[in-house]
Amino acid sequence: MKKYTIAIIGPISLIFVWFIIVKFQFINSFFLPDPLTTIQKLIQLLTSGIIIGDLVSTFDRVALAFAIASVIGLPLGLFLGRSEKLYRSVEFLIDFFRSTPATALFPLFLLIFGITDKSKIAVAAFSSMLIIIFNTSYGVMHARKSRILAAKIMGATKMQIFRWILFWESLPQTFIGLRSAVSLSLVIIVVSEMFIGTNLGLGRRILDAQITYEIPNMYAVILLTGIIGYLLNFLFIIIEKRFLHWSGK
Amino acid sequence: MSDITITVQSLKKSFSEVEVFKDFSIDFEQGKITAIFGPNGSGKSTLLNILSGIIAKDGGRFDIKNFNHFEFSYIFQNYRESLLPWRTNFENVALPLEIQNKNKAEIQQRVEELQKLFEFKFNWNGYPYQLSGGQQQILAFIRAVITTPKILFIDEPFSALDYENNLRLREHLQKYYLMYKPTILLVTHNIEEAVHLAEKIVVFSQRPTEVIEIIDNPLQYPRTIQSLKSSGFDVVKDKVLSIFQKSTNL
Repeated sequence: MKKYTIAIIGPISLIFVWFIIVKFQFINSFFLPDPLTTIQKLIQLLTSGIIIGDLVSTFDRVALAFAIASVIGLPLGLFLGRSEKLYRSVEFLIDFFRSTPATALFPLFLLIFGITDKSKIAVAAFSSMLIIIFNTSYGVMHARKSRILAAKIMGATKMQIFRWILFWESLPQTFIGLRSAVSLSLVIIVVSEMFIGTNLGLGRRILDAQITYEIPNMYAVILLTGIIGYLLNFLFIIIEKRFLHWSGK
Repeated sequence: MSDITITVQSLKKSFSEVEVFKDFSIDFEQGKITAIFGPNGSGKSTLLNILSGIIAKDGGRFDIKNFNHFEFSYIFQNYRESLLPWRTNFENVALPLEIQNKNKAEIQQRVEELQKLFEFKFNWNGYPYQLSGGQQQILAFIRAVITTPKILFIDEPFSALDYENNLRLREHLQKYYLMYKPTILLVTHNIEEAVHLAEKIVVFSQRPTEVIEIIDNPLQYPRTIQSLKSSGFDVVKDKVLSIFQKSTNL
């Protein structure tokens, strides 16, 4: 119980500061509505169902981008991690594209996939995949030597060592990669909805609300995006606690 | 004269500038517990690591009769790091047999055999990190003997244990030894441990390492706590200590 009390201090403080700022007019309340108005607006958007279509669209894109990134990134990461030489040979490419802002890649992907959902999903999948590859490979390469040695002495084959030791050793780092990747997917999808354009999507709603000066609306959708991002992250923490209970022990 | 299992001839090994073995030779007899006792840095662990293929020699040769990974086990000093935390205690113990493609029933049967022999109780569905250091070491020990190895290397297995668990593990080791008669090489810093367990005690010199003397230990197995208190024990211990004193110029 105490854990949750502590965890709630941060959000409560933020809402309080937000409330004070608006209350004492540090920022014009036209540009920053008070927390209550924003939350009411969000509830209204959800209960009336207006936002549901956008929510589902954005979520679908994120899920698809993340799925593609995982399906390609996990095996590739494991494979590259098995041989440090192999990883070093492509390290430059991974680090280069990992360091390139995904938004800068929009034009390239638009040329390839056109102004469709495909290009949004492809950019997000590409960037997330690099994060997954990077983390998974590092997890494999930095596996503790003592356990590998123990298995070697028992007469384990390379494949057995990979399946029973290296794969498991890499999991904690892999999960860090997956968690970062899911957050990044959401970021890129929302940004791409703003700039590549779409009919349905939270990014589009935020931009529309800004252009038409429906400010409470804009903040409500921003809040909703944040909540989704947090819940996705939280989901991974739960999965991690359940399956990686042994991590670091 | 019993059979020789392990032969080492003119072994050479240096680590950067430090010469550990210059022209080192020794034989180990089959079916005996041989303790290797010597000053720090005299290459006790290095010898085991060279023999098991973990590190390469610089020169000379060695031979282990009928060496086979499936009939060989090595208990490391850092047992905690050689257990697999994502596997349950049972799955940890089962690993060497899984590597040999044994099926679940065979593994189960073998675990039960050892359980009977050692009379221990384990929560097999728990995880190693839930165990105390002593229990973890017993787990690592069971994992090492589950394959019924003909050759067993042990590198200071008991050094991190409290005295009670230390004695308990020595008892287990003797039980196992008397039942299966493997060749055991035991590296130790602890003179009492060496005399308690070994039939032959090899005393190493300082670097570059030579064998100063091999001491016979005629005490009857199983050696109990009573044996530790006997005068025969003290005789052997005094002898080892005198030779060790010479080797270290203490």
